[in-house]
Amino acid sequence: MNTQRHLKPHWDIFCVVVDNYGDIGVTWRLAKQLVDEHQISVVLWVDDLHSFGHILPSLNPNLPVQYFNGIKIIHWNNTNIIAFEPGQVLIEAFACELPSTVINSLITLKDKQLSQPIWLNLEYLSAETWVDGCHGLPSLQANGLKKWFYFPGFTDNTGGLLREQPISKMVTQWQTENKKQLLFTQLGLTNIDDDDIVISVFSYETPALESLLNHFAQNDTKVHFLVPKGRSLFTLLPLLDCAFDLKLSQVQPGSQYHYQNAIVHVLPMTDQQGYDQLLWSCDINIVRGEDSFLRAQWAGKPFIWHIYPQEDDYHFEKLNAFLDKYCQQWPPALAVSYRNLVTAFNEGEREKCTQRLHELDLQQQSLQDLAQNWAQSAINETDLTSRLVQFIKSR
Amino acid sequence: MKTAHELRPGNVIMLDGSPWVVLKTETTRSGRNAAIVKLKLKHVLQDSTTESTFKGEDKMEDIILERLDCTYSYYADPMYVFMDSEYNQYDVEAENLGDAAAYIVDGMEDVCSVTFYEGKAISVELPITIVREVTYTEPAARGDTSGKVMKPATITGGGTVTVAEFVKNGDMIEIDTRTGEFKKRV
Repeated sequence: MNTQRHLKPHWDIFCVVVDNYGDIGVTWRLAKQLVDEHQISVVLWVDDLHSFGHILPSLNPNLPVQYFNGIKIIHWNNTNIIAFEPGQVLIEAFACELPSTVINSLITLKDKQLSQPIWLNLEYLSAETWVDGCHGLPSLQANGLKKWFYFPGFTDNTGGLLREQPISKMVTQWQTENKKQLLFTQLGLTNIDDDDIVISVFSYETPALESLLNHFAQNDTKVHFLVPKGRSLFTLLPLLDCAFDLKLSQVQPGSQYHYQNAIVHVLPMTDQQGYDQLLWSCDINIVRGEDSFLRAQWAGKPFIWHIYPQEDDYHFEKLNAFLDKYCQQWPPALAVSYRNLVTAFNEGEREKCTQRLHELDLQQQSLQDLAQNWAQSAINETDLTSRLVQFIKSR
Repeated sequence: MKTAHELRPGNVIMLDGSPWVVLKTETTRSGRNAAIVKLKLKHVLQDSTTESTFKGEDKMEDIILERLDCTYSYYADPMYVFMDSEYNQYDVEAENLGDAAAYIVDGMEDVCSVTFYEGKAISVELPITIVREVTYTEPAARGDTSGKVMKPATITGGGTVTVAEFVKNGDMIEIDTRTGEFKKRV
């Protein structure tokens, strides 16, 4: 350790915000868990505090340095970076490009033959089998520095899944004590009865949402769609009973729009805890990307994953790899129906999605049970943060 | 400089001041379309191998070493012997061929590029496109002619390539040696 005295006793995490909530959502959860469960000092470098502010409302986007949850948050960009003091560990989240000043400081340490921070690229979550063979491998850089690739994943050979230790207990307690009405009131959502069906919607734009709304709008039971302002609501807006010239920017959180036997509620933005509680409270969750996708799994409720679309439809490889694991223990007929629905949703074909929705009752008890089983078993021994700490210790 | 995505078996790159032969490349895709490249590398001087992962756009110093156009001559365990136009013979360790070894067959006429380091032949690059005969593949099940349905096929030399379902035993096919992918029937 003597050779590391020049390194500060903290971990640096760099995050470039790409789509508002995903990248920063994951890195913020990771930072909090490192502090809360492993007592590690964390400096979180974020390039877009306005977007970060959506999930951390008390953040001041005009302050270059501030502290929350014991984490030092620094606003950075490539042209203006506050002096970087290397810590024990340096994480570039989702292969974001580190500022040249950071790389240069590592090269300086190397040239002086001093040890450098353990440098990791924290990659995107994928269930594909190649992840097992790439996780934890070094990446020798042309400048002589060494970086490590850390891949989250669903098997023992990967970096694991991000999940706080007490979450299982919190979900059970929330659902047992039926706190959903309390949450709905806090969020300004009215007229939702206990027996109504409640669906949270946080997807990308897709015609499949129209199929979903049409399908549930014909239900005998009242159905509520909880949709934040954004890409999902943009898709649904033309169908609703609001004036057809209403623009997304004019829609107010708390507003309700009727469509046959369904009501679309406009959700206010919430912090991560509020969003988690929303997922725990709904009967079905429509999620996207990585952060909400993982949180929906811990909620133990049936969900549809709208995966980030990639060139050449490559995202279907990733979707199928996940469904292979998620549905592995399911009764075959149910697995086929569920896979067909999720695939149709991601293909975004209205008629096909409508047909698949008719073929599968998303509220059936067996689906609920399987979702809860997965929430207990998927973690596979231990979570990502614990594995990450162990990985660092073993370097 | 080459990006990690552009590397292929037989290339020699410089990492941290040492030359490494690329034995194997595997390209996959991470989130948001970014390429991830896994390389199997052999240290030219120390005879040790390692696996390493890179972003597809990571830049590598591609060493320009002496190269000669050669054709494959014969195999003398554990060496593949190549010959240049003046009938000089060069031995290349089987391990150094990496994935390219699957395409080496007796009588092949493909012109290969043999790379030398300090006078020693250390690697071989095949042409980007080679033609091989399919020695065994299952018959097409549904008469697909679109080329979208794929199946495994064994080629001359024993290697396996994923081919379009319409490919039959005895067909000659074009293979991209950078990726091992079937290109077309010829």
